[in-house]
Amino acid sequence: MSVERVLAGLDVQYAIDMHYRAEVRLWQTGQYREWLNNMVAEDIHYWMPIYEQRFLRDRRPDPTPDDAAIYNDDYGELDQRVQRLYTGTVWMEDPPSKIRYFVSNIEAFDTGNGEFDVYSNVLVYRNRRQLEMTVHTLGREDKLRRVDDGFKVFRRKLLLDARVTQDKNLYFFC
Amino acid sequence: MTGNPSLVDTVESTQSREIFWDKDVYNLELERIFGRSWLFLGHESLLPKPGDFITTYMAEDKVILSHQPDGSFRAFINSCTHRGNQICHADSGNAKAFVCNYHGWVYGQDGSLVDVPLESRCYHGQLDKARLGAKHVRVETYKGFIFGCGDADAPSLEEYLGEFCWYLDTIWEGAGGGLELLGPPMKSILACNWKVPTENFVGDGYHVGWTHAGALHGIGGELAGLAGNRAEMPFEDLGLQFTTRHGHGFGVIDNAAPAIHVKRDGWAKYLADTRGEVLRKFGPERERLYVGHWNCSIFPSCSFLYGTNTFKVWHPRGPHEIEVWTYTMVPRDADRETKSIIQREASRSFGTAGTLESDDGENMSSATFVNRGNITRDGRMDSSMGVGFEGPHPVYPGIVGSSFIGETSHRGFYRFWKELLDAPNWDAVKANDSVWDSVFLNRDYWTAKLDAAE
Repeated sequence: MSVERVLAGLDVQYAIDMHYRAEVRLWQTGQYREWLNNMVAEDIHYWMPIYEQRFLRDRRPDPTPDDAAIYNDDYGELDQRVQRLYTGTVWMEDPPSKIRYFVSNIEAFDTGNGEFDVYSNVLVYRNRRQLEMTVHTLGREDKLRRVDDGFKVFRRKLLLDARVTQDKNLYFFC
Repeated sequence: MTGNPSLVDTVESTQSREIFWDKDVYNLELERIFGRSWLFLGHESLLPKPGDFITTYMAEDKVILSHQPDGSFRAFINSCTHRGNQICHADSGNAKAFVCNYHGWVYGQDGSLVDVPLESRCYHGQLDKARLGAKHVRVETYKGFIFGCGDADAPSLEEYLGEFCWYLDTIWEGAGGGLELLGPPMKSILACNWKVPTENFVGDGYHVGWTHAGALHGIGGELAGLAGNRAEMPFEDLGLQFTTRHGHGFGVIDNAAPAIHVKRDGWAKYLADTRGEVLRKFGPERERLYVGHWNCSIFPSCSFLYGTNTFKVWHPRGPHEIEVWTYTMVPRDADRETKSIIQREASRSFGTAGTLESDDGENMSSATFVNRGNITRDGRMDSSMGVGFEGPHPVYPGIVGSSFIGETSHRGFYRFWKELLDAPNWDAVKANDSVWDSVFLNRDYWTAKLDAAE
């Protein structure tokens, strides 16, 4: 990260913090359509790359969107994921599972033109059926764009802190 | 548990629920199923250069697969012969040697012990390094797919695949380029017995319409008619199911190869451009398979969906847990963009966050864990769908079922699982080579059906 970056002002930091809280509230209450419509830009790239365990001396480049990824979605693909959850035939979510998000360490940088680079940490707690409980932590690198009086995300890179996912799936928004 | 006829009943087409739960069965599987079978290790495309390596599992054994300077592949147990420490902790890379973290013993690309720190001063010339190389397993390849085997008496890989090669050639060779795998694999833990996903992939076309109803609605296309099992469909005209000598099997849905892919233009064009050559090389029966969608398992624990092009290994971790590794299969000679889109689509459907994958994981876990109950476990599971609507076929090798929705390949998988579990060694298995398919009683199903059609 460049030291010359311009931290966004306090008012913007606060607004982004509130934006993330609202986003989490939509996810926790199953309002996926509202999230997609109001908080996601149509030019979104929603990406969770796969990082191998490699030796420090290994000079191969980091993954790009042309490589294997757990998420590598555009808007239409995110829309399909949302749509699936409203079909009434996703048996694994009936009865519904519980999910709780904790977003912290938010750092917003002003990149001009009403756009911001935002870094955050996310802890996700899932609880399903009677006893299934999983916890994931992720680093999140966003590019947000100001729209009207809010923000829309147009790049989201999710850095999962695990080589082997200790969960049966990662089908949740983050 | 060995010799217990109740684990798999090939007459009634049922299995004991103990096969998903019992620790003794699992320990016997490690010895007699995984210890004797050829297990998928990798594909040449994953380690293309000499010195390239990947680390993987053969059941619960950690293994290093290494590309040798002469172009061949070797595999050895990822454990130091000194005090047993794991030798290599990276997923993949390129290495001239592997150095154990514990005392610094150095193993060459071929697994031989090449250097021991302070050797002359501390071992006084008494260390026989030639005897202390890492423990090797057999390695053989078929059409670029690399397998390992821990049993010196097992048949060759090609004999182990047997008549299933006839089917695999259709896609692993295809028009000429064949298939390769794209990694790195996604990895996830699933709390289920390893056979639940294997049997699901080998022959469960039945669950597609119901388990995946939600995802199929979104995808649309050819398979949308299956969603919710609502459509009236002539299932006997839509595909077939196959099982072979060593339990390898698959189901095929006709003309549906790329059906799960939303962005499919490149892949569909590739198939359209190459099917003529497949017809010329392999004939109409295999051209039919080439443009169909396969749900397939290679015995014991490697599965793939051709068409969707997800490729899975179910590494067992005890009777109630597996580590799922997910690669993507792509045509080796397709253009880069087509490969990349196939990879994205395969991951979106059957990756760790896949729209269909998440439906399956739920079922596989609960089908395992209900058997914790004593009354529950003292019961049986049924695989009788389509019994009698199957048999030897004049063209297709093995046993062929009349519809992709049937349990022919389920039955074939468990038939061989039981045979290998009961057999004292591979010689005893080979003794059954001419009679293995006698449990499929209707010998005239296909001749009668084909005669009637003429």
